[in-house]
Amino acid sequence: MKQRRVVVTGIGVVTPIGTGRERFWTNLLEGQCGIRTVQSFDTSAYNVHRGAEVHDFEIENYLSNLDAAHLGRASQFAIAAARLALADANVEIASLDPERAGVSMGTTSGEPREVERFDDLFIAKKLERVGPEFLALYPSHVIAAHIARELRFAGVNIMIPTACAAGNYAIAHAFDVLRAGRAELMLAGGSDSFSRITYTGFAQLGAIAPEVCQPFDRHRKGMIPGEGAGVLVLEPLASATRRGARIYAEVSGYGLSCDAHHMTAAHPNGDGAVRAMEQALAQSSITPQDINYISAHGTGTATNDRLETLAVKRLFGDAAYRVPMSSIKSMLGHTMGAASAIEAAVCALAVYHDRIPPTINLREPDPECDLDYVPNCAREHTVRVAMNNAYAFGGNNASLILKKAQTI
Amino acid sequence: MRNRVVITGAGVVSSLGDSSAGLQFSLCSGRRAIRPVELFNTAGLGCPLGGEIPAFDAQKYLGRRNLRPLDRTSRLVTSAAQLALNDSGWSESMRNQEEIGLVLGTMFCSVHTISQFDRRALEVGPAYASPMDFSNTVINAAAGQTAIMHNLRGINSTISTGITSGLQAIAYATEVIRSGRARAVLAGGADELCFESFYGFDRAGLLCHSDERTGDFPIPFDKRRNGFALGEGAALLMLEDAKFARERGARTLAEITGHGCGYDCSQGEDEEEAVEAIGLSIRRALNDAFIEPHEIDCLSASANGSYAGDRHEAKGVFAGLNGQTRKLPVTAIKSMLGETLGASGPMQAIALLETIRDGVLPGIKCLEEIEDDFALEMIGPENREIDVEAALINSAGFDGHCCSLVLARMP
Repeated sequence: MKQRRVVVTGIGVVTPIGTGRERFWTNLLEGQCGIRTVQSFDTSAYNVHRGAEVHDFEIENYLSNLDAAHLGRASQFAIAAARLALADANVEIASLDPERAGVSMGTTSGEPREVERFDDLFIAKKLERVGPEFLALYPSHVIAAHIARELRFAGVNIMIPTACAAGNYAIAHAFDVLRAGRAELMLAGGSDSFSRITYTGFAQLGAIAPEVCQPFDRHRKGMIPGEGAGVLVLEPLASATRRGARIYAEVSGYGLSCDAHHMTAAHPNGDGAVRAMEQALAQSSITPQDINYISAHGTGTATNDRLETLAVKRLFGDAAYRVPMSSIKSMLGHTMGAASAIEAAVCALAVYHDRIPPTINLREPDPECDLDYVPNCAREHTVRVAMNNAYAFGGNNASLILKKAQTI
Repeated sequence: MRNRVVITGAGVVSSLGDSSAGLQFSLCSGRRAIRPVELFNTAGLGCPLGGEIPAFDAQKYLGRRNLRPLDRTSRLVTSAAQLALNDSGWSESMRNQEEIGLVLGTMFCSVHTISQFDRRALEVGPAYASPMDFSNTVINAAAGQTAIMHNLRGINSTISTGITSGLQAIAYATEVIRSGRARAVLAGGADELCFESFYGFDRAGLLCHSDERTGDFPIPFDKRRNGFALGEGAALLMLEDAKFARERGARTLAEITGHGCGYDCSQGEDEEEAVEAIGLSIRRALNDAFIEPHEIDCLSASANGSYAGDRHEAKGVFAGLNGQTRKLPVTAIKSMLGETLGASGPMQAIALLETIRDGVLPGIKCLEEIEDDFALEMIGPENREIDVEAALINSAGFDGHCCSLVLARMP
């Protein structure tokens, strides 16, 4: 039996540089930066103060069934991105079979603000103010559940909290579900809200940059925590074609691996990253020479950018120097579990529009980071095949490949 | 053509034993793990009871390894993983040759670790929060720590779907092997007992409370049930491609022949929708296994003593099996273990492996008065001797997730 082909027909994003596909894509190609002084909480006790928060967000625009008061921030982002993606795909929700419509989402922290509230009240000795809402709002699976409840999707419903690579994991899973015929339409992506816990942790790791995020630059000083959500509408090529849907790209394969080396540091030879890319290429039946764009994990930390470059060079050889590889985290910061989902959306858009977003703030190249990072200006470039790389705590590596639907 | 998936070993760390046989023995002896919690102070909470693992010490399973970076959940998972690797014959040197995967289901991983990290930063300043603890605040921390300790370099994924997390992880791993992406994957789940999650369940009014009629315990499917007890533990199965397992000469315990899932959009508020979602999940699992309802020889139910949940499950099973439930032997081991969340589905699977082997299905402790309209008759406090070719495991959360799995005896 021939495997079903799976395509991206809708894109919904909530990001620090804009909500909705069109606004986001325009701002991204212009190299706009969403990094500001943190407003979610008081950072005076920290030695860093910058973050990439979402400011222009009105959840009321996206809710028909649920009450915003009963939704954590990551769930709100996720629902908004899901609604935007369905609208972008021109899908009539009423036309779907609810049992064949599913949700697969990733996250790093779930709804950390709910546990932060718990902790504030615990310390203030007012824990009695925490009621039944804690269980209803906090556990990470509520993000996928809330999307399904709002849209009345009764099919596959899964949360894959594999930290900063979670979006790729969730999209990969939706791809498998559709190929196996277990659903007719999947919403897949990732969501995370700005979190005091996350900020504290990265600050303590010395990983947060004081001012700007400048991936691959010689003077890069770290990452910038962010927030947001990205959701894709995935459906079988046959049904997308039948309903005359706009097809951004086809998902052709993925690779997942584990370093089994260190919780927060990548393998020194990039072993796991190479294995994930190899699997993704093999499943897509292509070679490194076929890749026209790499969306880098590109956090802006000294180690990540060096090792990621090394891994690509190990696998691609000389071809590495001919593949544009940019990091949109230079503009959005690191949106955690949403990051690779938003980056997958960027790959789909790059494939569709033949345009590549830049790595901004890249002024002085690092001798160890000597690839083409599309510095500072977006580029017109034929993108038949794009690869989306993401790496996470726990040594999790995930590579996803998207390509023009009619090619290969 | 999809690859067949077999179980070649199991590892369990539970309040009723740390081996499959030990767990089954406890369940069949009617032992109960539910007693006053000692891990944290339960003063002011409605329910002081839990299924805690007494004096849990990971060193017993992991020897002289450095356990300092691991929180309780990670210790539970690394221990269960060690047991499962031993049981399935994956020595350290063999693990260097094969990229073994790990798919872990967990509802919270460790909300205790997360909360402690945050409270320390609040109380003494962010500069005193530990970077090592931070790496344990991600929900995939236990899966990452386990991969590091046991050198598991294959696919590494964490699944969170509430109570069904662990069974969903097994279903996910089954697909990974069926599609040829991996040949050997450890799959299962874990959750720890901790103040923060316990408080959440207590405040949600889901935990059991003792009264004159029930005694101190949760009684699944009984008219007197008034909630569940929280438990804890870790349970992992070694899943392998059947051909690969045969070639390496592995012992096989059972085959996973089907899985299915559903989602109740009313999140338990509408009985009809809740029942339909469970029915759908079961029908999908049976279809996936290419079997008919009458071919199911027993059911391990998700029922944990929750008032609405048990009712939805009894009716959902009736719907999913096309009304063929009166002759179906049913057990509900959460009556004895409590609700172990992410570990619960995999623990049901491990107990069923023993039932397939020894032909004994544990009774449901204290079950006396089943509800009149549940259409379950082969159910009660006594163990049952049965011959199992195919068994159904059901897992259903209090807030909408459903997952079902079919296990078959090896021919």
